[in-house]
Amino acid sequence: MNVLITGAAGGFGRATANECARLGYNLFLTDLNERGLICLKQGLERQFGVTVAAKACDLTETASFDDLLEFIDENGIRFDMLLNIAGLDHEGAFISRSSDQLASIVALNDVATVRITHSILKRRRTGKPFTIVFMSSLASMFPMPVKATYAASKRFILDLSFALRHELKEQRVNVMALCPGGMVTTEEAVKAIEAQGFWGDITTSPLEIVARKMLRRATAGKSIYIPGIFNRCLAFLGRLVPRSIVAAVVFRRWSATGKNT
Amino acid sequence: MIQEDTCLKTVVVTGATSGIGLAVARVLAARGFYVIGVGSNQESCDREAYPRPHRLNFIAADLLQQSEVKQVAEEIRVRLVNGELYALINNAGCVRSRYMTTEEGYEHQFALNHLAGFMLTHELMPNLIKAGGRIIMTGSGSHTGAKIMWDDVMMTKRYRPLRAYKQSKLCNMLFAKALNDRYAAHGIRAYVVDPGLVRTNIGNKRTGWLVSLIWSLRKRAGVGPDIPAATYEWLCRENEAPKGFYYYMCKERSFSRQVTAENAERLFALSERLCGISYDRTDKRTEN
Repeated sequence: MNVLITGAAGGFGRATANECARLGYNLFLTDLNERGLICLKQGLERQFGVTVAAKACDLTETASFDDLLEFIDENGIRFDMLLNIAGLDHEGAFISRSSDQLASIVALNDVATVRITHSILKRRRTGKPFTIVFMSSLASMFPMPVKATYAASKRFILDLSFALRHELKEQRVNVMALCPGGMVTTEEAVKAIEAQGFWGDITTSPLEIVARKMLRRATAGKSIYIPGIFNRCLAFLGRLVPRSIVAAVVFRRWSATGKNT
Repeated sequence: MIQEDTCLKTVVVTGATSGIGLAVARVLAARGFYVIGVGSNQESCDREAYPRPHRLNFIAADLLQQSEVKQVAEEIRVRLVNGELYALINNAGCVRSRYMTTEEGYEHQFALNHLAGFMLTHELMPNLIKAGGRIIMTGSGSHTGAKIMWDDVMMTKRYRPLRAYKQSKLCNMLFAKALNDRYAAHGIRAYVVDPGLVRTNIGNKRTGWLVSLIWSLRKRAGVGPDIPAATYEWLCRENEAPKGFYYYMCKERSFSRQVTAENAERLFALSERLCGISYDRTDKRTEN
């Protein structure tokens, strides 16, 4: 099983890579952070004795992206699974962020994800089923003031995932969307979750368990995975309540935690 | 106060800018040792270094990163007199309430509480051998309830914060045992100190609100960090190296039956692999 993981050097990327390596998958890792990639490659090889290839890439830069594909083709690597983990957010009031920051959210979360998915589908191993996981978010379920661009970019991913799932079914491609609430992936995430106290805790899912279940469900052909019962209830409510009301409620909650600046 | 026999003897203390490590660094400096403290951030290093005497200074390094462990070892070597390191106190440690990984993808408590000390000791071993030095680990009485989960030392199946902590403290015991088995002939002694329950902030740093709350309540029953610091100081000061290996309040203490030569060697081999190092190769290099 040859697996490509984007955003592999981040918190969730590392947990996912560990889980894949434990299952004995061959890994191809990519991330913006080259040092982190080298460290992770070493760690995985030392722990599990698996084959790991790694190449740093800025998926939003055409030249860098082409280099990545060239590297893959030169080495004749073909894939059975694509885990689209890479993503970013610049949380905060829309007007207080720069237009470049806002555009970079869409550039990575949507544009780059579409490009890599298309390119890797063209490089799938022939005659074998193929699996794609899209990293969406619980935020994709609601219009979210203060995370407006991010939530919308994840909504794009969610709809893309459902649509591709049907379009590619005949070609033996499993497509699953992962929609987690909070996860302890970075220093900022730890602080953000702590700042929310009880609510932060209850919407936060354990990294190691999400990584394992994500792989299990994706290979079993599920369409969506929302980790945590509480998060599943929130997602359900999000479908019942009119979107304008949801947006107002979310905005009030952010205002209470002082996030709307 | 300064004793002849401690002059120019260098001691390295990790996790030295707060809690037990800070108390140990201060008491050793007051006793006349030259102390190099390693702290996790520059700010706390600066705070503790000024305006203290030259016998106590600090280097900032994030020991969760293996690259920084190597780097800090290099900086330490530059500061040693005649390349001799009299004692290394592997005290830096952490508590996490959730599964978090280092850049290598290693679980935080295992990586900091055990691997960081394992690697730093390896880097400084030639200097320790030259001085016939001592290595002291900060352990915990809680190790007695633990076993090493050999098939999942990083606890990725389901993370249990307390279990991961206890396992890391059992690792300290096994590492100290392996060091004594391997290096007693080189004049090296390794110890583990059980500090008891101490009022430090270990359970309040980067843990969730629940762990932080429980620790805030629990630590009220603890002693100040000066109490366990006396044991470290005694282990460093005694001219004749004490013969035991697990100490609480300057007295030997009984320990887990999991501390066997077999487990110690198994952990040693695993740790060498995870750090990408080999103690044997380094020893040969030193002999040449």
